[in-house]
Amino acid sequence: MTELSEVLPAVLPPAKRSKRRDPQRLLPRWLQVLVIVLLLLSLAPVVYMLLISVMPDLDAAAGKIWPSEWVLSNYVKVWSTVDLARGLMNSLIASVSAGLIATVFGLGAAYCLTRFSFRGRKPFLSSLVGLQSIPGVMIILPIFVLFSSLGATLGIPLVGTRPALIVTYLTFAIPFATWLLVTNLRQIPVAFEEAAMIDGLTRFGALRKIIFPLMVPGMVITLVFSMLVGWNDVLFASVLTKPATATVAIQLQTFASTTEGGSLPLYGQLMSASLISAAPVVILYMIFQRQLIGGLTAGGEKG
Amino acid sequence: MTTDAAAPSSAPTTPAPRAARRRSGSTVGGRPLWLMSPTLLLLTLVIVIPFLIAVVISFLDLDQYSLRSWTSAPFIGFDNYVEAFKASGLLHSVWISVAFSVLTTLVCAPLGFLAALALNTRFKGRFLVRSAFLIPYVLPSFVTATVWRFILRPDGVFNDLLAKFGIEGGQWLIGDKAFWALVLVDIWAAWPFVYMMSIAGVQSIPDELYEAADMDGVIWTQKIRYVVIPQIRNQLALGLLLSTLAHFNNFTLPYVLFGTPAPTPALTLQVNIYQTSFQTFRFGLGSAMSVIALILMLIPAVYYLRASKLTAAPGED
Repeated sequence: MTELSEVLPAVLPPAKRSKRRDPQRLLPRWLQVLVIVLLLLSLAPVVYMLLISVMPDLDAAAGKIWPSEWVLSNYVKVWSTVDLARGLMNSLIASVSAGLIATVFGLGAAYCLTRFSFRGRKPFLSSLVGLQSIPGVMIILPIFVLFSSLGATLGIPLVGTRPALIVTYLTFAIPFATWLLVTNLRQIPVAFEEAAMIDGLTRFGALRKIIFPLMVPGMVITLVFSMLVGWNDVLFASVLTKPATATVAIQLQTFASTTEGGSLPLYGQLMSASLISAAPVVILYMIFQRQLIGGLTAGGEKG
Repeated sequence: MTTDAAAPSSAPTTPAPRAARRRSGSTVGGRPLWLMSPTLLLLTLVIVIPFLIAVVISFLDLDQYSLRSWTSAPFIGFDNYVEAFKASGLLHSVWISVAFSVLTTLVCAPLGFLAALALNTRFKGRFLVRSAFLIPYVLPSFVTATVWRFILRPDGVFNDLLAKFGIEGGQWLIGDKAFWALVLVDIWAAWPFVYMMSIAGVQSIPDELYEAADMDGVIWTQKIRYVVIPQIRNQLALGLLLSTLAHFNNFTLPYVLFGTPAPTPALTLQVNIYQTSFQTFRFGLGSAMSVIALILMLIPAVYYLRASKLTAAPGED
């Protein structure tokens, strides 16, 4: 590209030449191509997973990379090998409930945190981040002890029930959702509701008619992201579920360890089950990838 | 209301006058701070109380037999803490976790940064590449671990690949090499986080800076060194701290990759506490170990909170 403009300086008008050089280019072309190609190659395990999921079990067990014949039967059989439908439903119920509760509860707190100044506001904001870095094992342990002893006292089993799982999901969903909503609310000018209140609306009128409609996209994102954290959980579900309430993450893990011991491991079905349980997450993240990156950096800037 | 009230989060006002303005402005609609109380109540119920109970349990000799009435479990003072240091392999696990999280962060940083630099120009198919780069990160950890568990089997495709280069792979999921398997898989899954942090920063650098650098005739390494890095340094540093914490806290990946009991060379702190608590049912000891883990976590967390204040614009929180 540069050689061409050197050879033909008279032919190309100067404006055009400067346009052809992209100021945003930060790496020489060879390095750029190298980085992109290598990183794309590193995605091979994803492609491999796809290939295994469409090959017969014999091929997979023999360590083949390319299927000798293409089959879709794995995607059909896996639903009866593992009760995947139940697992997906359990995951969906637990993660959506936790996400919804966290978003609704977080909204009130986020509104106060962004609109008023009061004693303890800053410590509260920082604790929202701090709470997210508490190791999950530390939270699940006392909750498990509480639920077990409470269940024994009341005579109703709590461990293994859905509500118990949802409560534990709230431990990370509430700080996370509140934090996301705070970053969202910061972008809505206070002047909007102040103008509305001067025009005679009450605080709650302004909240309902001005802020709420503006917050809908932010709330959807918050719901989606806090839901996804729940969907990906293994720790809490491994302690607090029984087979009937097991989330898809737990089912997959159990399936993986049982099928490995079998005479003909069902790797094809294992990979198709992996893809089925990952698909909702990957699709949602791809739809919201702009917000994902924006949310991360907002968190990074504000801590 | 003045017009600068329209941009509360970006206007560089000092906190004091802003607070005053808020107070006078919000008299119109009152200050319904009680809106926070449901959240505070819920947070107290699900985090604060369990947290305090965990501290109490760490002083009790609590196991599966005394679980039903945990309050009557015998109080044994600091015995759990002593045991945690002496006999639980805690220090070994701390070392594994720290080595693991620092090592993975150190490798992920240049990978993600280079990826962001490479994707900063427009080219055909850039959107596809950008989406593809996110895949390892957005894939649920339990899926990543399941796939790699399959790939890293002794007769799996990873060893087949190594054999092509004349290297004998052997066992990756048990024994000494397990630690390196964990590092490899975690890097594979985590580099896009640094990439995402970097690309947002790199794209916010105005064209003028690059153009000025171009006019000065700098070469690309200087452009990165003197234009890009100073502009995104804070963001990158925070991204790296966050990802170190995330690696340290990562439970799912080692748990699903190795199953339990995890191989000792790859026994991270979280998995060790989990096994102590939920496989051998030593709840007291597990609690003591998590209290120690939390104190260890506080060190980078406090550093992070301090560092993040440095990056906020003047007058911001």
